[in-house]
Amino acid sequence: MSDALLQLESLSAGYGGVDVLQDVSLTLDRGAFVAVVGPNGAGKSTLFKTISGLVMASAGNMTWQGQNLGNVQAPKRAHLGIAHVPEGRQVFPTLSVLENLEMGAFVNRDRAAFPEFLEKIFTWFPVLKERQRQPAGTLSGGEQQMLAIGRGLAADPAMLMLDEPSMGLAPAIADEIFTRLVDIHRSSGLAILLVEQRVAEALHFADYAYVLEAGRIILSGKPAELQHNDRIRQAYLGM
Amino acid sequence: MDALQTLENVLQSLVAGLLIGSMYGLMCVGLTIIFGVMRVINFAQGEFMMLGMYFTYFCFAWLGAEVYFDGLWFPFVLAVLAGPAVFLLGLILHKALINAVTGRRASRLEAQGHYAQLVLTLGIALVLQNGGLFLFGSNPVSVSNELSYSAWEWGPMVGDRVSVFVNQAQTISAIIALVVVLCFGLIMVKTRLGKSLRAAADNPDAATYMGIDVDRAHRIAFGFGIGITAIGGGLLASNVSFQPYIGTEYVIIMYAGVVLGGLGSIRGAFLGGLSIGILQQVSAIVLPNQLQGTVIFVCFLAVILFRPQGFFGRRDRTA
Amino acid sequence: MNAFGNLSGVKRDFLHIGIFGLVYLVLALVVSNSYYQLIMTIVPIWAVMGLSWNLLSGYSGLISFGHAAFFGLGAYLVALCSVVWDLNPWITIVLATLAGAGAGLLVGIPTFRLRGHYFALAMLAYPLALLYVFEWLGYQEVALPMHREAPLTYMQFENPVYYIVIALVLLMLALGITSVLSHSRFGMSLLAIKLDEDAAEAAGINSLYWKLAAITISGAIAGAAGGFYAVVLLVVTPLAVFGMLVSAQALIFAMFGGVGTLWGPVLGAFILVPLSEILYARYAADFPGIQGVIYGVAIIAVILFAPEGVLWKLRAMRKPGTFRMLGSTASKADFGVSEELLVVPPVHDGKPVLEVTGLAKAFGGLQATSDLSFSVREGELLGIIGPNGAGKTTLFNLLNGFLRPDSGDIVFHGQSLQRQRPNRRCAAGMARTFQVPKPFTHLSVLDNVVIGAYVHTRSKVEASRHASAAIHLVGLHDHLDLPAANLTNKELRLMELARALASKPTLILVDEILAGLDPQAMQDMLVVLRRVRRLGITIIIIEHSMQAMVQLVDRFIVLDHGALLAEGSPDSIVRNPAVIEAYLGRQWRQEEAGDE
Repeated sequence: MSDALLQLESLSAGYGGVDVLQDVSLTLDRGAFVAVVGPNGAGKSTLFKTISGLVMASAGNMTWQGQNLGNVQAPKRAHLGIAHVPEGRQVFPTLSVLENLEMGAFVNRDRAAFPEFLEKIFTWFPVLKERQRQPAGTLSGGEQQMLAIGRGLAADPAMLMLDEPSMGLAPAIADEIFTRLVDIHRSSGLAILLVEQRVAEALHFADYAYVLEAGRIILSGKPAELQHNDRIRQAYLGM
Repeated sequence: MDALQTLENVLQSLVAGLLIGSMYGLMCVGLTIIFGVMRVINFAQGEFMMLGMYFTYFCFAWLGAEVYFDGLWFPFVLAVLAGPAVFLLGLILHKALINAVTGRRASRLEAQGHYAQLVLTLGIALVLQNGGLFLFGSNPVSVSNELSYSAWEWGPMVGDRVSVFVNQAQTISAIIALVVVLCFGLIMVKTRLGKSLRAAADNPDAATYMGIDVDRAHRIAFGFGIGITAIGGGLLASNVSFQPYIGTEYVIIMYAGVVLGGLGSIRGAFLGGLSIGILQQVSAIVLPNQLQGTVIFVCFLAVILFRPQGFFGRRDRTA
Repeated sequence: MNAFGNLSGVKRDFLHIGIFGLVYLVLALVVSNSYYQLIMTIVPIWAVMGLSWNLLSGYSGLISFGHAAFFGLGAYLVALCSVVWDLNPWITIVLATLAGAGAGLLVGIPTFRLRGHYFALAMLAYPLALLYVFEWLGYQEVALPMHREAPLTYMQFENPVYYIVIALVLLMLALGITSVLSHSRFGMSLLAIKLDEDAAEAAGINSLYWKLAAITISGAIAGAAGGFYAVVLLVVTPLAVFGMLVSAQALIFAMFGGVGTLWGPVLGAFILVPLSEILYARYAADFPGIQGVIYGVAIIAVILFAPEGVLWKLRAMRKPGTFRMLGSTASKADFGVSEELLVVPPVHDGKPVLEVTGLAKAFGGLQATSDLSFSVREGELLGIIGPNGAGKTTLFNLLNGFLRPDSGDIVFHGQSLQRQRPNRRCAAGMARTFQVPKPFTHLSVLDNVVIGAYVHTRSKVEASRHASAAIHLVGLHDHLDLPAANLTNKELRLMELARALASKPTLILVDEILAGLDPQAMQDMLVVLRRVRRLGITIIIIEHSMQAMVQLVDRFIVLDHGALLAEGSPDSIVRNPAVIEAYLGRQWRQEEAGDE
């Protein structure tokens, strides 16, 4: 049995007939931490939306644990162990923090195990415990990000996809979130697929990285190889 | 008319308004659920109320008042049963028709299918209204409920003047309405199903990521919405006489109440319906019958022009 | 090839209308059964109602559920005037038309402030309210007095054919008006509003004005239809003219036949009215309400299977796969490269084109823009960069008028913009493109760009000339007639730029025009931007990646978390440590520092 959890082969996808992603191939192994970096408009969010089923693939294959993912309807994919922490947090604003986490656990058959999970999540993110009864819409950006991550974890997934978790957050808070994320990854062996704008952080923590530009993967490799790659600097800074 | 008489009239209207308003409130809650979760304005809501009325009427007529329970309670039980019956109808209707123009599929339609939804429900309204005309006939009917003719007397309060008569059937209906709303509120807040509906309403994409089937959530919300309104109709059936076109008369009442309360807020809808009920009864003191409708309409228009977010809702929901 | 391509469209329509009228007239003379003659009178009236609805809702996309209000007012006006003052219908139908127009305007002014659902609800409520009022006033049933002695004056003819003729004339008038309007700026502006109101506003279209114009004309036509209806039926009741079925019918005929087409409402009325009338006559006794059921089922069927209407469905079936195009398909007249039309003569007075002071905007708890101040010189190419979430597009929305600032001021050409709507700002010379392109999908490339030219041109020719110049400048001249929906990302962005150019701006706000482009396309785009610059137009461009911008801009402003992080020449910005940190992350900077 292969180690690969998620495998994308020559995947193309887009909106209204126009392909944003073209011929994307990517592998995520069990327990791995993979980053996808790239400039705006490169298609990073589209990638996640395609994996989650909100966007239809126009060509190529997506397999999850050996199974063809393309046939699975969007709401069912979460049941397979795919958790998605969307860009911009996307918490349920009128639901309380606790209710948000409960919704995260929606796919869990084993309801009895939830309180245990909850405690774990509260240990990682104590501020959520403090604010558990508050409507999620009243939380600050950083707290919402933690909630969104907690919500993803509540499903006890095999893979956690995070879409630009640092966006709109002050560097200090973003750092804190990254540190937690790494702790979680190390202690639970959860596979993480991270899309990030802050290239350095992403490369620092990941086992493997892909660079997405204008819908195509132009580079991939271990962070050490990519770390000081000029192409990346060009993509962002034009130097 | 002297002061005491006026006082009595006003008090009587207030009481009647509160009681009838509770039933309106229940129906408004049904309407607001559909909008709150699905963002659909259901033009056929009045017709589902009408179905609730006829369900109650026919079951009452066929099964006979004396057979089950104590005859007095039977109409109320039937009214409540109209809920699940119409709920099931709603599930079918949604799957067959409404699903085609909402949710994911809607994005390929113009204006994201908003207008298709409105127009589709208009079509459903026409079919139900006129189908009802064919099936039920145009003679006005009512559920003959003995309690509609009995009232408790509250008073006399000033000397031997100023008594208010509290209609028994209306009181029981109002209590049932309140109980149904509270139960439903509890379902929405406490149960996993209710939370998933609220999540789907808050953020359909994120809900899908959580594994919530948003289409199914909409279906259930639709069923709830029309089922609850049907119960309201069933309760009203003991108090008013109706015919298949009655839905149109109550559509403005329901929308006025919902908008007053803030689209999407359950508490707001109930209070909004209550307010409209009171407004209607109190305005009957000074205005002739036909103009009561105009008053409600003016109220409705004023709210959407000057305060579209309503008065009673929590600030949470944004319409 | 002629430059007046659209006039031939109108001429063609008029020819069809004429032929249709002739055929119908012949039919009227042939039919002798009085019941069929009545139907032949009623059907055109409903077709006119459908056309009236179509004029407002079919073209603009604002679905009205309340056209019965105008219809009923017209009917009651005619009825009451003849009862009270004995006025003849020739006068009163004209009055009914005016009343309908007035009612339309009166309804439109408050109601157009509402969007979407609220608009639909309000429109639904008007006729219902009027129904109550007229019932209360005691006009349960108003019968027009008989005037056998002067049939022509009072439109009470022995021979039903005369009624048919008048109905036909009304229909032909309505068709003529619709044809002329749809081929004119009116039609195109409404379509643009329907397809993307924000893009239309930004391109200079005053959406409120056009909507009011549409509802006024629509109301007038509906009023006329109602007035004549009263004359034909000789009795008016509130339910018959204000009832929901009336509004529903106006809607159904147009939706069934084909929304936004000339003949759609006619087709709808001509199929559905006879169908329902005949079924009603035969089965009403056994199946009361059959009319309503038929209309209801028709609506449902249309929505499910042919949401755009029968005509469009037929067109789609005949030519499968082709896109549904609207608007006046462009004349192939190519006005050539007349770039000088778009040149902005320099003013050289040293004053900044744009001056922003202390601009701030918050959404809930999030400060999207905070205390932003900068100015832009004439002819400058200013780049605004910053990481995602930095508030760049918010800034453009504030400049453009889609958002109102909480505090601060924007001064454009020396005038404070205050609360001016986007279309006014466009008229003043500020154009814009969008981060996610907003094409008018169902229109051709040429039509998309021509709409941009409306704001400062009077005639079709002038508009086409400017549009053509803009299209040539961006290099899309091979794509004039393609529907916008078939364009690639790069072409869409070029088209949007052309649309902005067509409005003869002095300043263009360009929002992430390079997003999603591969390196070659990016270079092509830069070439076009330089061309635009050479015209003398000031450009402010938002971009996320600096790669291409560095070659293009004169000066950078860097935003982060809504505030100004740095400002200066490309060289200095690219070396600025705070900027590097904001983009690549602190660790990169630390590692770089560690390396050195």
